[in-house]
Amino acid sequence: MSVNRRRTTNKIEVNFLAGWLVIVFLIGLGGLFFVYLKNQQHAVGNESRLVEAAVQEEEARDDALKAKIDSMTSRGALQRRLDDGYISLQPIRDTAIARVTPPATAEVDGVLRTASRDPESRFGPGVPQRAVNR
Amino acid sequence: MGRRIGVVSALLVLIFTAFSWRLIHLQVLKHEYFSAIAAEKNDTRKVIPSRRGRILDRNGEELAVNIPVQMVYADGSHINDPSALAGVAAPFLEMPVGELTEKITTKSKYVVIRKGVSEEKAKDMMRALEKANLHGLYLQEGSVRNYPNGEMLCDVLGYVDHTGHGADGIEKTCDAELTGQDGFRMIEHDRKGREIVVYRGQEQLPKNGLDIRLSIDMGLQAIAEREVDAAYKTNHPASATAILADPNTGEILALASRPNYDPNKFNQAKPENMRNRAISDIYEPGSVFKIVVTSAAYNEGIVDDKTRIFCENGRFSYGRKIIKDHHGSGDLSIPEILMKSSNIGAAKISLMMKDQMFYDYVRKYGFGTRTGIPLPGEIPGQVIPPHRWDMLTKTRMAFGQSISVTPIQMVMAMSAIANGGRLLKPKLVLSKGEGSAEVTDTPVAQVVKPGSANYIANALESVVSSQGTAPLARIEGYRVAGKTGTAQKISPHGGYLEGRYIVSFAGFFPVNKPRVMGIVIVDDAKLGETVNYGGSVAGPVFSTIGAKAARYLDMDPEPDASLVKEKQGTSTTAVSAR
Repeated sequence: MSVNRRRTTNKIEVNFLAGWLVIVFLIGLGGLFFVYLKNQQHAVGNESRLVEAAVQEEEARDDALKAKIDSMTSRGALQRRLDDGYISLQPIRDTAIARVTPPATAEVDGVLRTASRDPESRFGPGVPQRAVNR
Repeated sequence: MGRRIGVVSALLVLIFTAFSWRLIHLQVLKHEYFSAIAAEKNDTRKVIPSRRGRILDRNGEELAVNIPVQMVYADGSHINDPSALAGVAAPFLEMPVGELTEKITTKSKYVVIRKGVSEEKAKDMMRALEKANLHGLYLQEGSVRNYPNGEMLCDVLGYVDHTGHGADGIEKTCDAELTGQDGFRMIEHDRKGREIVVYRGQEQLPKNGLDIRLSIDMGLQAIAEREVDAAYKTNHPASATAILADPNTGEILALASRPNYDPNKFNQAKPENMRNRAISDIYEPGSVFKIVVTSAAYNEGIVDDKTRIFCENGRFSYGRKIIKDHHGSGDLSIPEILMKSSNIGAAKISLMMKDQMFYDYVRKYGFGTRTGIPLPGEIPGQVIPPHRWDMLTKTRMAFGQSISVTPIQMVMAMSAIANGGRLLKPKLVLSKGEGSAEVTDTPVAQVVKPGSANYIANALESVVSSQGTAPLARIEGYRVAGKTGTAQKISPHGGYLEGRYIVSFAGFFPVNKPRVMGIVIVDDAKLGETVNYGGSVAGPVFSTIGAKAARYLDMDPEPDASLVKEKQGTSTTAVSAR
């Protein structure tokens, strides 16, 4: 009787079970890690979206301010302020200009313009100016 | 027992087969259908706007820029409570709540609510909506064109219409280069309309428009604008125009006219103020045109240094009409004909030339043909061909009547005298895009030999002497050559308008090595007949512009200019001279 009973009892294969448990655990862990990574990806993506938006906003603000500066410092705006007396121009005579390099004319590079060419500074004070009859 | 197991197994097989079939049906057979539904609901093609290119002057000064603005649009599928949303958003959009509620009560996914909302207001609105946990309004980047100098240079710049494309000026002719190509990004968004970054799809970056660098020098432009404005306010003409150019390259340095308009408010401008008079107005040039007949005759050897023309003491009867000079003269040399602006002298020279030859020279100087300046609306002017001439036409054309020209044509013709006889195409655009090759100048034609051009140029120097017609056009310290023009205005009913003139002065300096060519045209100045001449109205404007331009360009004064002045005397009493 006891012999027969022993014969019908299934043997638990611990090694086999442990192997599967490890595999299932690893698969589960992998799944969780995948979900974690996916969440991280979304979180980072969201963060980058916000950073992109912030950069874009700053760029737009920068452009808007630049345009405002352009409008306020344009020749037209300065001319209006000059006409209104808000700013004034003072002529600089040749004698008040120290040249550190030989005078470069606009013909050379179109930029450096250091000389004063008003008739008074060329010919000295007291030289009669040509009357402009308009 | 075995049968029961068989039945259960069969049922399970059937159930799983049905599930599998349904799965295949959804995932494979109906894949495209359901993908499209999902895409329609969640996928969006987000436009990444390109930047329109800037317009710069030759030194890089900004003439046309973009101001970023936002367009507010609604996605009706995301809006749960339109009235609550409208209540929060309406103050930022400066719209009545009722109107906004009506607009956003929609199932449409894209309804434009308002364009041109400033960055600041748009962002404030979005923050307020987020705080109130309301969704459905979104922003789309855009920009509006801004011209920082306002009215200055409006004729050249033009403006951009509501579609974002150039409607006039350089904005129109260079629209293809200035307009960029918008990019896009396929995105998916969540239930609240926020982009899910990890599901970003296809992306194409925008291509920004190219920056256009003009030949205009804003320093010179400001000078021209100021003086034209002063002349316009003082003389109350119908219009006033000034053009400055480099006679050696054909580069247009400044172009100003009055009346004008502000391209930032182009929709408020009067249409007649938006016309570019430098290229689309024709006028009889008057005596300035004498440079054509004299240079042509000299170039052909019909006249020379020794030639003297009898000027009939001021009254010449030809073709049963009388040609008059303002001051009667006897024998005059070619330089004297130009200096005294003798109509009889010019007419007699034209009679020494064959019709076709004279006509060919008129055409070779570019009259009757568009110059090709890259601005819209240029007209070719009117030159009557020889087969339609009557007995008087040639003599009238010789002193600038019976022919219509545009100011820009006159500038280029006078530039040919200044640069040794080369007619150049006016150049307005130096480069398109950073690093692009500069547009090179190509002479259209060698009109007259360099010797002939120099002869006329030297003769024109006497025009600004005290004996000439334009002593007021002289520029202190520089040798100036130029020619006055005074033409009666044509009546729309035929003939000429009594006492109404278009006066002009076209000149260049320094004579030896011309760097600046300028023309000033004043149409119908309200001064009275006795003083309304090119030399007395346009000449002083040219002189003031030239003096300031010389100073601005740091041009070395000519040592022999004072000698010329001494030789010419100091009288400035030629106000009544033509």
